[in-house]
Amino acid sequence: MTSLWSKISCALPTDEEQFPLQFSDKVEPSVVEILKRCRKQLYGNAAGASLNLNAQIVLDVSWERLNTGTWRHVDKEWRRVYSYGCLFKVAALCRENPSQEEVLQAVRTCDMGLLMGAAIMDDILQALVHILQNEIGRTSKEEEKSVEVVAKKLKTESPRSPSIREDKAVPRIKCPSLESFSTNYLLPLKPVILEGIIDHWPALNNHPWSIEYLRSVAGFRTVPVEVGSRYTDEDWSQTLLTVNQFIDSFILNEVSQDGGKSRGYLAQHQLFDQIPELKEDIRIPDYCCLGEGDEDDITINAWFGPAGTVSPLHQDPQQNFLAQVVGSKYIRLYSPDDTDKLYPHQSQLLHNTSQVEVENPDAELFPEFSKAPYLECVLEPGDVLFIPVKHWHYVRSLALARPIIASNLSWRGSTKQDKGIIKAYKSSAAQLMRSHINNLHVELSDKENLQKEDLHTFKEIRNKNFRLLCSLLFKATTQK
Amino acid sequence: MRWFGFGFNAFQQIQASKNSENSGLDADKTRLSSPTELRGHVNKDGGYFELTQIRASWSRRAFLHLDEPACVCLEGSVNDSCREVLKRSCGCKDVFISESQITLAFPDRIECWDLQRNDDTPSWSMDTQSEGSAVSLPLVPGGYIASKSPFFHSLSPHMQAKSLALGGDHVILLTAAGAVYTWGQGSHGQLGHGALLSEEEPRTVEALWGMKMSSVSAGGWHSVCISDAGDLYVWGWNESGQLGLPSQNLRKISERKAHQQGELSQNSSTYQEEVFISIQAFPALLDVTPLCEVKAVGCGSRHTAAVTTSGDLYTWGWGGYGQLGHQSFSSLDEPQRVEFFRVQQLRVVGVECGPWNTFAAVTKEEGLAPEHPTKPLNKHGE
Repeated sequence: MTSLWSKISCALPTDEEQFPLQFSDKVEPSVVEILKRCRKQLYGNAAGASLNLNAQIVLDVSWERLNTGTWRHVDKEWRRVYSYGCLFKVAALCRENPSQEEVLQAVRTCDMGLLMGAAIMDDILQALVHILQNEIGRTSKEEEKSVEVVAKKLKTESPRSPSIREDKAVPRIKCPSLESFSTNYLLPLKPVILEGIIDHWPALNNHPWSIEYLRSVAGFRTVPVEVGSRYTDEDWSQTLLTVNQFIDSFILNEVSQDGGKSRGYLAQHQLFDQIPELKEDIRIPDYCCLGEGDEDDITINAWFGPAGTVSPLHQDPQQNFLAQVVGSKYIRLYSPDDTDKLYPHQSQLLHNTSQVEVENPDAELFPEFSKAPYLECVLEPGDVLFIPVKHWHYVRSLALARPIIASNLSWRGSTKQDKGIIKAYKSSAAQLMRSHINNLHVELSDKENLQKEDLHTFKEIRNKNFRLLCSLLFKATTQK
Repeated sequence: MRWFGFGFNAFQQIQASKNSENSGLDADKTRLSSPTELRGHVNKDGGYFELTQIRASWSRRAFLHLDEPACVCLEGSVNDSCREVLKRSCGCKDVFISESQITLAFPDRIECWDLQRNDDTPSWSMDTQSEGSAVSLPLVPGGYIASKSPFFHSLSPHMQAKSLALGGDHVILLTAAGAVYTWGQGSHGQLGHGALLSEEEPRTVEALWGMKMSSVSAGGWHSVCISDAGDLYVWGWNESGQLGLPSQNLRKISERKAHQQGELSQNSSTYQEEVFISIQAFPALLDVTPLCEVKAVGCGSRHTAAVTTSGDLYTWGWGGYGQLGHQSFSSLDEPQRVEFFRVQQLRVVGVECGPWNTFAAVTKEEGLAPEHPTKPLNKHGE
């Protein structure tokens, strides 16, 4: 039986000379020097420790560049450097009889490269993660224990499935021709549910998507998860979990120990690029070809989460098809013509999101909202909802014993990387708001005359006052 | 004065390895977690240079002895074009370095040289003979020098800029009147204006209005300033604890380590009660130590180092390369004193940070009561 390392070696170039390290001059020679040291140590006999450290240097320096400026402007070269760092790190981890923990860490490293890096050497990280996954599957059936599962009962409450009013229902049509779809819905920008167009998907047939299936295909893969009921909440945050951890913590178990609900949502993630095995279970509908861009402009996102997860009312700058695979969702749509009644946030980061809680609107704060016309539906497995560009949409996963998996194929990509920033913004504001408000900031004028104990007290008071000043300033600068 | 350095040393910019081979650098020497004395700071009479300017970039350390007309010296990743530039640096009064270029301030001119290309002429230069005023790089008469083209950025003379620090993607400026201005990227709160928006033009940090600041510093994504009264204000990203405020990342990492080492796994919800700060969008007052004030501060990419009036050095933030100097590679979200200097009875008088390392200037302690007595008492207690 060939060892893990020999399998990995086969995927790598045979020797140093065959190993490319070409970068534009955006990457400084000093960084390339470290990469060359990694390469030398990979093919030499140096102990694992040096390669591990040098790989970490590459990861750390490229990570810093990836976080400089806006994501959109990050030079692709630095993403390539990051991927090389992942490659060398995986080699360092797997070279000498790696433990199960080290193999899992290597899988996680590959995933970080796939999530944040750019493809190198014929997408070698994809090849490596494939080898590593087979290794895990072979050696052990042990469940990961890193995240403790508190309560193991499945949620079985009956669904609060809203009844849809006839006059407000999104129209449904079964397998329309490309032409009729284009004429009646795409061009006039009218929402519609297409039935029967994904019946052939393996995900709904011979490879039905279930929790067990997802675990077997992607259990140890690391994915970005949003934690918190909705992204406008104070405690909303993003984290990285393996699919197993995500399923254990948020799908099978929704009640944390203190009784509060903690929701996790694998939302808007290009899962199918990261895990190609899943991509083979879906097909891009022909209708996507009717868009103005070409196939490269189509982005496929996955949404996987438990019942109750909500996407607040928002709009996207591209056309969307939302394909429902498992479970169901309640969706409400508003036309962009009625934006003035939907009270979008003023701030630049959230201007595509409404302030209104759609199913529990504050009539005093948002009086016009109830006058805004809308369409609604419950999307079932096999349905595909066409959301025209800039149409406001609100989505709530319905309470069922099964998780909700939907695929959202859109073209002319949008970015919600800003979401992480929104979270931080809200958390910072909350901290300021929590400070006590007593009196105003005082100048430290005759400090010299104070005794040591007094000075300490004075500093404490001054700290508090300073925080107060900040919170007053904050209130003045933000708009409601 | 003597200088000590600790942290990232993959290019031997702090201390050269005894191993003369270039390729296999000892893993031990790639990162130095304990303060190590810098060589080359002894003059021909065998004494220490009194006044040395040190600046560090990711892979290099530049230093300049100001006592006598001397050239700039470079340690670390030194190539041919570096050597050429150094030859022309005699008589220089101030130096500033980034990963791709070096800026030299002479009495009559300022020059920027590209460290990656072997050019005969500087990539930018300015004649300052007529100005006469002291230069504090990266501030130059009429503006400041950035690390990439276009190098020169003008500043309004009304600002009366006194000192300026360049962060990863932002700029912080201190005026003669003690006011602080920031501009550049704001997505991680590093501008301190309360929102996470970027600013193209200098904007005053309102929260500090009315308090006179005496120095400013900038890290990769955070900003720091010291008030006249010796208080330290911090704002920006706290992902590694570089603000000295509770960091959720650090808590998670220590929990994960504890779990791996077989200690009782904790319920992941226990840390939800504490207030963690990942981005501080407004200046926050940080108590480095209740005992005394802060005299000087330096920022690395994700760590911060402060010198107190009592001669101690405190560090906090990212420690993965030993840049905190506590003989470990852990990160900290609370200021901690670097005990090395106390034990050696050295008084820290200045600090300068590279992105992943720290340099401290020390003098011999005069009259400080030692923690460990140097002479044993005789039997009469004398």
